[in-house]
Amino acid sequence: MSADIYGNLLTAMAVLLLSAIVVPFFSDNRKLAGWLNFALVAIAGIILLNISYASIFGDESSVFDLGFLSLTGMMDMSNIAISIGSFKLFMLLDSFSAFFIGLIIFMAIMSAFYSMQYMEHYPDYSMKPFYVNFPLFICGMIGLVTLDDLSVGFTIAWQMMTISSYFLVKFEFKKAENVKSANKYLILMELAWLLVVVGGFLIKGAGLGDSVHELTYKLGETGPVMTYFVFGLILLGFAFKAAIFPFGQMWLPDAHSIAPSPISALLSGVMIKTGIYGIIRTFFWMVPHTEGAHFNGTFWGVVIATFGVVTLFIGTVQSMKQSDIKRLLAYSSIGQIGYIVLAVGSSLVMFHSESEFVKLMGLIAIVGAIYHVLNHAIFKGLLFLSAGSVLYATGTKDMNKLGGLLKVMPISGIIAGIASLSIAGVPPFSGFASKWTIISTNLLAGSEVLFLVVFGIIALFTSAVTLSCYVKFFGLTYTASGAEWNIKKEIKEVPGTMIAPKAVLTILCIVQGLIPFFYYTTIIDIFSKSQGSIFYHTFRTFDFSKYLDTTAMGVSLTGMSGIATSVAVPVVMVVVFAVAFLIAWALKNSAGSTERKADTWLCGYQDLHNLTRYKESNMFSALKSFLWWTGGNVKK
Amino acid sequence: MEAVYIIVNLLVFLGLAPLFEGIIRKITAKVQSRQGPPIYQPYMDIFKLLGKTTINSADNWGFKFAPMMAFASIVSVIAFFPLANKANYLTQYADIITIIYLLTLGGIAVLLGALSSKNTYAMIGASREMITMIMVEPVLAMTLIMGAVKMKSLGIDITMFSINSVGYGWSVALMLVVYLAALQAFVGRPPFDISEAEIEILEGPFIEYSGPNYALFKYYMMLKQMFYAALFVMVFIPFLNTGIYIVNLAVQIVEIGVVFGFISLIGSTNARLRIDQAIKFYSVLIVLALCAVGLSVYGI
Repeated sequence: MSADIYGNLLTAMAVLLLSAIVVPFFSDNRKLAGWLNFALVAIAGIILLNISYASIFGDESSVFDLGFLSLTGMMDMSNIAISIGSFKLFMLLDSFSAFFIGLIIFMAIMSAFYSMQYMEHYPDYSMKPFYVNFPLFICGMIGLVTLDDLSVGFTIAWQMMTISSYFLVKFEFKKAENVKSANKYLILMELAWLLVVVGGFLIKGAGLGDSVHELTYKLGETGPVMTYFVFGLILLGFAFKAAIFPFGQMWLPDAHSIAPSPISALLSGVMIKTGIYGIIRTFFWMVPHTEGAHFNGTFWGVVIATFGVVTLFIGTVQSMKQSDIKRLLAYSSIGQIGYIVLAVGSSLVMFHSESEFVKLMGLIAIVGAIYHVLNHAIFKGLLFLSAGSVLYATGTKDMNKLGGLLKVMPISGIIAGIASLSIAGVPPFSGFASKWTIISTNLLAGSEVLFLVVFGIIALFTSAVTLSCYVKFFGLTYTASGAEWNIKKEIKEVPGTMIAPKAVLTILCIVQGLIPFFYYTTIIDIFSKSQGSIFYHTFRTFDFSKYLDTTAMGVSLTGMSGIATSVAVPVVMVVVFAVAFLIAWALKNSAGSTERKADTWLCGYQDLHNLTRYKESNMFSALKSFLWWTGGNVKK
Repeated sequence: MEAVYIIVNLLVFLGLAPLFEGIIRKITAKVQSRQGPPIYQPYMDIFKLLGKTTINSADNWGFKFAPMMAFASIVSVIAFFPLANKANYLTQYADIITIIYLLTLGGIAVLLGALSSKNTYAMIGASREMITMIMVEPVLAMTLIMGAVKMKSLGIDITMFSINSVGYGWSVALMLVVYLAALQAFVGRPPFDISEAEIEILEGPFIEYSGPNYALFKYYMMLKQMFYAALFVMVFIPFLNTGIYIVNLAVQIVEIGVVFGFISLIGSTNARLRIDQAIKFYSVLIVLALCAVGLSVYGI
């Protein structure tokens, strides 16, 4: 990467720091401060998105020339580090980190725009802490995916991210239980930090501020037992961050459900993904490959995949039990992270297999993992913004009290519906494409490694449970009935400034489902440009087109190649469905039936009201009690 | 020319699904010592319903949209289906995971309709329907996955006809038993008609539906029923493959008829289970199906 890219990266981070200093002074004028915060995040965002684009697509000529504003001077480009006296703070910006940068900053821009209006419904709280911590939080996350060590730089970035998000989670500090949950979050994240840093120092001869590259080298000299400790502790640390079972359950549902909704969107959408980033960097990059090194890829793959499959099952089942919208979404984040972790782990197992076929599946599985990282960030962000809209419009997030919002909030309703379909993995929306990749690779590799097929089946089963979560979320919030009796104030559609970011994300949910092969090839590109990973060479030399278009996905198209196939598959599905829908429509109208309105018929009960309606607590009660042992139960 | 087979698929399914429903009703009546309606009654029901007034109690678009969505999803599945051992033009564009998800979409439509209708009984039905979907979908999935694991491909025709190339083993036999045990739940017949439960919650999800909307839902249920019967024939009885399309088609239709006879006999001689009892039953099926897949990995 050229010096300009690093210079611009530092400039963007400086803009975010500037925002944290300047904007709070205007926080009494809520409108102005909101716009100012958005503007500065957007400026940093444009620079970062440009960096991200240039690195992913390898188009260095498109990098902005910021002239004297570019902080290239701070960089020591021979070492790719920031020099502070004799001390060097190593950085690494390759396609892989660029992908995460793009994701983080894009969601940050959406969130900043949404919060301008959303934060208005906290008139009792000062906005000062919000505007100090919001840009710091973003900056911390960007730092975490670009600083390249496990001691000093890691600590700076992690603490910046953790402490600022702690204050954001604690925003509604006047409620005692919120402070308690936030404190728990802080303590566990510090524990996670400690685990990773200690893990790093257990490497033989590790010094303060060693780059990961050096650490990898020194890891080759470390003894076998110590190597297991190093990887184990680092995995544990990032497992806390990524919210893997049982660690995620300790903090995530509490923290994510109490934070203001745009912050929840960032926490669930991107922050926990930094844990995934850490895991992938550790187990695919920080791998000693010298003679006599003690890294057992298959072992760690099995461990991670097992964590993944347990996480996805338990997290999703717990999500099904929730009656608070934001807790439902939070538990579901744990479940979706499980899919990603499963894909990462099984990819590691498959890649260390002897069989060429399974190895190939391993490559596709990791592509699926990254694809799901992207998709989950978009639709979970969107779902949290939708939950925020419900909270904004009605003042509650309890599904027992909600119902029938589709009539009063039609646009928000449709958006939430599309987001729900996406996360439930209904074709042709985005969740389908990535879950399809993850599940199918596991099933196919399972023909040679038995446990992978079992994992794949559990993942498939769990996606039906995911569906039930979102049928419940959409059904009981937007359709059904209840809000007309339980919400005292008049419910209105949320303002346009809140709908706009949701609309953008909705479009992405659809696009990411319709052209999956564009994303496959882009992600394959990312891996084949990011040097140093264990499958760097395989990704570079392997011709995917043959496999992606035919064998692996079960679609075998003849006479087509490349982009034509990639578009054909989802388009055919949509066209078939559309034609079938037209047949249904024609059939429905074939006999010229008329329509009249009537009241709901309740078999003798007089009419539908608050006492005769069906509440959330009754939904799936048989299944809830059958699966009580998974925890996360809600008391009636 | 390949496109012709899609049309045949649709004609066979749309044309015969009500007939098979009629057969079920006739057999059930005979078992219960009744006369029963004429065998063409389901056609008459659909025609009649299409002309009736729609009564709309819900007043939102979900209620009107749901029946069409359900019907469209099952028709899409049928379009991809390699009936009579012949992959049609569309079969290559999808895989078994797509089929599973499209079938699920039909279920979602039923739930959307039920939840939109605001009726308490409909919601009880929806809750039960969702639970049934969660618990029996894995059996369907594993039936197909077993073929996929053997053939190392997720292609629809390749997986469905896997027995032709790898033969009948213990794993297939076990899966066959599991599939038959789950069949009543797939098609919503006693003892697993828990989500409709006419006598108890009055057709559950469909209680508020009338006229053409209800006709579409009824048609959807008949098509779904026929699909699961046809899938059984396709996956587990692939022996009578003559190579001549018309003969294959005729043979399979007869076989589907036999499966329907089985469905109606079981249905008419069993009482409905409660949902909590059914969950336990399904979980045993899931474990058995997992065993079958496990055995098939080892080539048994």
